[in-house]
Order: sequence, then structure tokens, then C-alpha cells
Amino acid sequence: MIKKDDYSFNSLQKNEKLTGMLFIGPTILGLVAIILIPLLYSLVISFSDYNFIHPVISSFVGFQNFLKAFSDQYFWNSLWVTIEFVVVVVGLELLLGFMIAMLLNRDIKLKGLYYAILTIPMVMSPIAVSLIWKMLLHQELGIVNYVLSSFGIGSVNWLGSTHGTLLTLILVDIWHQISFMILVLLAGLVSLPLEPYQAAKIDGANALQILFKITIPLMKPVIATVVLIRTIMAFRTYDLVYIMTKGGPGVSTDVLSYFIYKKTFMSLDLAQASAISWVLLLLVLLVVFGLFRYLESEETA
Amino acid sequence: MKRITSLVICLMLTTCIALSGVLAAPKVTLKALMEDIPENRIVEKLLPEFESKTGIQVKFEFVQYGDMHAKLITQFLSQNTEYDIVQVDNYWAGEFPAAGWLEPLTKYVKRDKFDLSPYIPSMLKMIGYYQGKLYMIPQYNYAMGMIYRTDLLQDPNLQKKFKETYKKPLELPNTVAEYVRLCEFMSKNAGVSGSAMQAGRGDPIVMEWTNYLYSCGGDYYDSKWRAIVNSPKAIAATKLYIDNVKKGAPTGALSYNLDDAYRVMSQGKAFSMISYHWMLPQLNDEANSKVAGKVALAPMPGGKGLNGGWGWGIAHNTQNKEEVWRFISWIESKEVVTRRAVMGGAPTRKDVFSDPAVIAKSPWYPMVQKIVENAKPVPEFTYSTEMIEVLGRELSLAASGDKSVEASLNQAAKELNELAKKAKLQK
Repeated sequence: MIKKDDYSFNSLQKNEKLTGMLFIGPTILGLVAIILIPLLYSLVISFSDYNFIHPVISSFVGFQNFLKAFSDQYFWNSLWVTIEFVVVVVGLELLLGFMIAMLLNRDIKLKGLYYAILTIPMVMSPIAVSLIWKMLLHQELGIVNYVLSSFGIGSVNWLGSTHGTLLTLILVDIWHQISFMILVLLAGLVSLPLEPYQAAKIDGANALQILFKITIPLMKPVIATVVLIRTIMAFRTYDLVYIMTKGGPGVSTDVLSYFIYKKTFMSLDLAQASAISWVLLLLVLLVVFGLFRYLESEETA
Repeated sequence: MKRITSLVICLMLTTCIALSGVLAAPKVTLKALMEDIPENRIVEKLLPEFESKTGIQVKFEFVQYGDMHAKLITQFLSQNTEYDIVQVDNYWAGEFPAAGWLEPLTKYVKRDKFDLSPYIPSMLKMIGYYQGKLYMIPQYNYAMGMIYRTDLLQDPNLQKKFKETYKKPLELPNTVAEYVRLCEFMSKNAGVSGSAMQAGRGDPIVMEWTNYLYSCGGDYYDSKWRAIVNSPKAIAATKLYIDNVKKGAPTGALSYNLDDAYRVMSQGKAFSMISYHWMLPQLNDEANSKVAGKVALAPMPGGKGLNGGWGWGIAHNTQNKEEVWRFISWIESKEVVTRRAVMGGAPTRKDVFSDPAVIAKSPWYPMVQKIVENAKPVPEFTYSTEMIEVLGRELSLAASGDKSVEASLNQAAKELNELAKKAKLQK
């Protein structure tokens, strides 16, 4: 009897497994077709001499495409600009986003209105955001400089100086993307348990102690997740640069994704572009891997 | 029995469907990707006429210039193109034929005796032939010249001040150096920028700079395709250009493209701009411009401006080559081109430039013809687009002060030489 029972349980389990496989099958197939195959194809291309003038793989060139990128000073510049952009954008966003989320996580009036306003930038397309800000920040005719100069501050050269333009792009990106950060952090804050706070109050902890000893440690998983997502998004930033600066002035805003675009559609060199794309991909994977490891260690601790 | 009946019905149905397909002569629709500028909107207005005449429908998809190249390339590389008619910018006039993306037009021209002689030679050379073979029919030109404010030039106070400062009367400059000096003067004394410059990275800065380069006697390559963008003449031209960015242009000029520069000019905030001649009618249009009636066109100081233009071509992978040719030969016939010009278009044919109706509509067109005849395009070869990207980067670096003029131009020359070698032009 026992044996039979065991058997039927096993078959049930097997059945369930099969059903599961059938359910996720189409998705897996779809992912393989639209993600894995193109990804592998681009890896193959990155070791070949494929370009748009002769769109065939006529020979494999080993690591030549990678070496060519590594010996290009402008590749290193783009890499550096990208890292600078990602670190500053994500860092500032986290700081500001956390503060705003804390402000909203209280009993205040018109909460719904704030939420509504916050989500507006998030639903706008990056191209539209870039075009709007390009107009607003026009040095001569933009409204931002008009307002500033009417306060006697004088007009700022938002997009035309080598030192300031990356910062301008960072500010626009923060304006566009911070709502996402705020909403995720807010969701985390709302779902925190109340007991530790009550205990802290009884023990007489002050606000700063509560923030650093309770809120931030409890929020760590949420913070890590949102930082992870925003980092990946920030690495891919392209629209802003494409519309607002084309990488200039000089090479001050030449982020890697725009650099890759130029290699593809201006130099027509898909092999070189694929190689650099893979460098970017590996870089992003490294960051993702690091953050995942951190998340896991947090969970076990 | 039943099976046979159904078979018969089936057969009859298929025949009917097949026949109806043949009888209702398939309607051809041609598509083209067009830059969204006034010239192409004029052409669009004439499309219904072509359709009623030939039964061929033509549809335009309008986009910004910057999006066109990538969109076209992906279509050329696929089996079947979305765009049958190709509007070719002169930047691509070397690249597209070299890659085999355009159908040679010689056989159509010969068969239909399409007359090429009325075309201005500089246009046909630029946007017609590639290595001696005809691939495109010139559509319109956008040669660059100097657009300036007549009211400021005639202002008695400014004239007096200029004479006091330079011991010379205030008049149109004859050389690049004189132009830069005039722009600096206007910036200091007229309450406007001297030149609404388009010094944004990429093709804006290269386009504008090329006028300075050509007018100072410089060039991109010598006759053996060796890069000479770092020759003494080119260095002098670039220094003048950067001088003007610093002293004559609005402070944001390093991020401006042609639209930004146009807005500055149309708001009355600049004395002049080195730009496309088709900007003139827009600037003289009261609905769009605060300086209407106060702007005029002259050749680039120094005499040699940048030529630019678009041509019509047939995509190598379209199924409707004959229909596309029919469209091209119709839209480029003298009658239609004259009408386009009267509507405000920029012609490429001498017989249209000298047409009385056209001159009555646009009295400055003889000046445009003169500018076009003297103008010179950028070198056209397989890697023109990349060449412009390289120069755009290096010039922007020099103009922003990150790099010295010499270092930038040496780097550009090095990369331009590599491109010429890659294209097998330089031995």
C-alpha cells in the first residue's frame, strides 16, 4: 500500500512538473528567440569582420575588435563618462529619493496629488523629456535662463560648457527618473513593521538614531533592489545624449551607449560596435552580480 | 461524389480570386523617407497630381535629419525595402552607391532621353554621379552663404563707431578674417551676437566650419586623398572659426544646431549667420520672424561656401524600379520643378533659376545660383559620414578649449587618412 501511494504521489509530482514546463515553455522559447539568439549572434559578430558595407562574416579576427576599442582613447573617455554618469545619477537619486519618500511616508494632506504629480515624469518618453528640456535650457531663448536672470542670477550655459553639461544631463535624468526611486522606496517604507519603532520610542531613541539604526537597516533589501534597477537603466542612457548634446561639447557627454550607436550607424562597423556592447554588458553584469551577492549575504545574515 | 463537388467549388473559388487579382490591376504604392523641411512639404503637395496621372500612389514619411541615415541603412540591408524612393543627402552620395544600395540610373536616362544638360554642373557632380556613374537626379540644393541684417549694417551710429575703430567704412566683409572682426564688433556694439553659430558637436559644427575652411583656401583631402585638415591654411581657418565662437557667437553656441541658430536669428538676437540659403524666406516671413524684411543673403565672405543638396535615387532592393523612375522623371521635369520653385523650392536646374516666374517670386535666386555655382561639397566617399563624425568630435574639442587647435586637427587628419585607406582611395 505504502509503495503504491508513494508511486502515485511521484506521478502527480511528475505531472505537475510537466504542466509547469508546458506553461513556461512558450515564454522560454520566446526569450531564446528574441534575446538569447541575437545576443549570441552579436557575440559571434564581435569576433568577426562584419560591417554594413560588406554585410557578411568573411573571416574571424580573434580579439582584434576588442583590442581596437581598448587602444582608442575615446572609448576610455566614454567608459569613464558613463561610470561618472551612473554613479552620480544613482547616488543623488537615492539620497533625494529617500528623503522625499520619508517626507511622503507621514500623515499629510493631498497625498494623492503628490503621487499623481510624481508619476507624470515617469510615464513620459525619454525623447519627449529630452526635447522639452532642450528647449527649456536653451541658453538664449530658454525659460530657465529667463527666470534665473529675472532674479538677477544671470544666465547659465547649461549645454554649452565642457564642465557643466554632464551635470545638466544628470539633473534632467534625475528629474525624469527619480519618481521611480521614490515610489519603490515609499512602498518599502510603508510595509516596514511597526514594532521596532514602538520599542525605540519606549527606549527613548531620537529621530536620527531611529533613521540610522532601524529604518535604513530594515530598508537595505529595498534599497539594493532599486539601486540595481536604476543602475542598469542608467548604464543604458542614450536618448538624453542623442537629443540634447550628441556627446558634446567636445567629448564631455559621450556615454558608451551613444558611442556604440555611432560605431554602428556612422562608422557602419557592426563588429566593433558589438565588441564594445559586450564590454558594456559585462560591466553591467559585474555590477549586478556584486549587488546580488550583497543581497544574498544580507538575507542569510 | 460529395468530395468531387467540394473540389470543384474549391477550384472555382481559387480561379475567381486569381482572376479578380489580375483584372483589378494592382495599385502600386511607393514610399519614401523624407527630411521634414519646407522643400519636401512642397513636393508632398504635388503627389496627388502624380497619382491621378499615373495611378501610382506615393507616400512620404517625414522624420528629422538625424534619424534618416540609420533608418535607411536598416532598410537597405533587408530583403525588401520599406522605402522605394530614396532621398539621398550629398553626405551619403558616396557611401550608398559604394555599398551597392542604389540602382544605377544610366539605362533609364538613356532609354527615356532624360535631359541632364540643364543641371548646374556642381550639383550633378555632387549629387548625381559617383565615380563617373549616374546614381541620383539632383532634387534641391542647400548651399550655404551669409545671411545678415541689413538694418544693422546701415545703422548710422554703428557705421560711425566702426569707422572710428577700424578706419574703414562698415560694409560687407570680403574675407573670413574681416567677417570674424565684424562679428566681434557687432557683439560689442550692437547689443546682439555677431553670428548665430551652430557649433554643436557632430554635423552642425562641421557644416559651418567647412565654409571657413574652403573660403580660407583649405580642404579636407588633396588630389591624392591625403588628409590636409591640419595644413597651415586649415589651422588658420579653424582659429578664425574658434575666435568667432568665443567673441562673436551666443554663449550657448557650442550646443546649437541649425534650428537653435535659426531661432536666435529670427528673434533678432544676432547680426548674421552662416547658414543654408533657404533660411532666408523663413527669416523674411513675418509670421515666424521678428526680423522680417531686414535680412539679406550674400556669398560666404571669402567666396567659397559649402554646397549641399539632395537627390532622388532608386533603392536597390525595391520591387518597383520602373515606377520609381517614372516618379523621379515626373517630379524632375522642367514644368514640375518650375512650379516647385514658384512655391518656394530651391532648384538645381539653370533653366528654372532663370525662369521669369521663379525670379519674380524669389528675387534673390540669381544670388543663390551664383552661390551654388561656386560652392563645393564635402568629399564624397564610402566613409563620408564617419569623416564628419571624426571632425565634429575634434572641432568640438578644440572649440570648447579642451584641446589645442593643432592637436585636434592632427588627430582628425590621422583618422581621415585611415578612412581614405580603408576606402582604398589612398595608396
